[in-house]
Amino acid sequence: MAADDVDAGELIRLSVHGVLPDQNTDTHIVILRDERHAEVLPIWVGATEGNAIKMALEGMVSPRPMSHDLIRSFAEHLNVKVTQAVITEVKSNTYYARIYLLTADGEQTVDSRPSDAIALALRANCPIFVTQEVLKQRGGTNLDAWLERFGTKNLGK
Amino acid sequence: MITQMKVRGLTFDPYSNTFVVILRDEHNVDMLPIWVGKSEASAISFALEGMAAPRPMTHDLMKAVLDEAGAKVISVVVTDLKDNTYYARVHLMSEDSEYSIDARPSDAIALALRADAPIFAKEDVIRQQASEELGQWLENLKPEDFGKYES
Repeated sequence: MAADDVDAGELIRLSVHGVLPDQNTDTHIVILRDERHAEVLPIWVGATEGNAIKMALEGMVSPRPMSHDLIRSFAEHLNVKVTQAVITEVKSNTYYARIYLLTADGEQTVDSRPSDAIALALRANCPIFVTQEVLKQRGGTNLDAWLERFGTKNLGK
Repeated sequence: MITQMKVRGLTFDPYSNTFVVILRDEHNVDMLPIWVGKSEASAISFALEGMAAPRPMTHDLMKAVLDEAGAKVISVVVTDLKDNTYYARVHLMSEDSEYSIDARPSDAIALALRADAPIFAKEDVIRQQASEELGQWLENLKPEDFGKYES
């Protein structure tokens, strides 16, 4: 089930460390970290997607199925397994992701925004990866300034 | 009994500070307003305008997952109204099997518009809605709120 067709170097597994509201805009920041906590990848997402990720992270269940619950529900009914979410690319500060599905016809991938990919991965209990290339390109200076501003205390769940 | 509905408009309700999707039957006799969140309203608006977002939005992804799974959206049905909450079901066909899956109407409508699938409402729901303060709410709407998607 490895993402062999992502030819951007080795994949690094990430976990969602937390979701923070961005005070300045109507967005949320999803903090992804690798298992050894050597890497941090913040991704800006819309408020709705941020809440969808937050709910899954906190194990909250909405009384009515939210959009990503519905996607998981479709997959379950149709016997499709969501196997992994991979953040594949970053271009002009926009991140790109792919979701891997195991269907009756074999492995398929669909293009996705990282926010949807993460919200779905958390509900499907599947791993989230990033390519080394993306981690390299994520923009060091901005990240340092940003981390300084938030401080590490905010990084806890 | 179920009635086929079309999305006739999308408007903002300043009283509840949320968006409202207006469903009407083909003869413009029955009407069903459904209150939806901002992002669902945006998802429905994109589909109504025939606009494609530069990046796949959540319901585009939903449709893509169904396509890859070889499933087709046959219809969506607004099935129930309980305590001001609407319930809907999405009907899927995959191979020879049919599936009926619980959804919020906002997701069901956003998906139906992308899948070119018909939208239905149970007549009970329309009747029930009609009895609840609909008239009062309508009086607050301006005619231009409706204009945009009239065919």
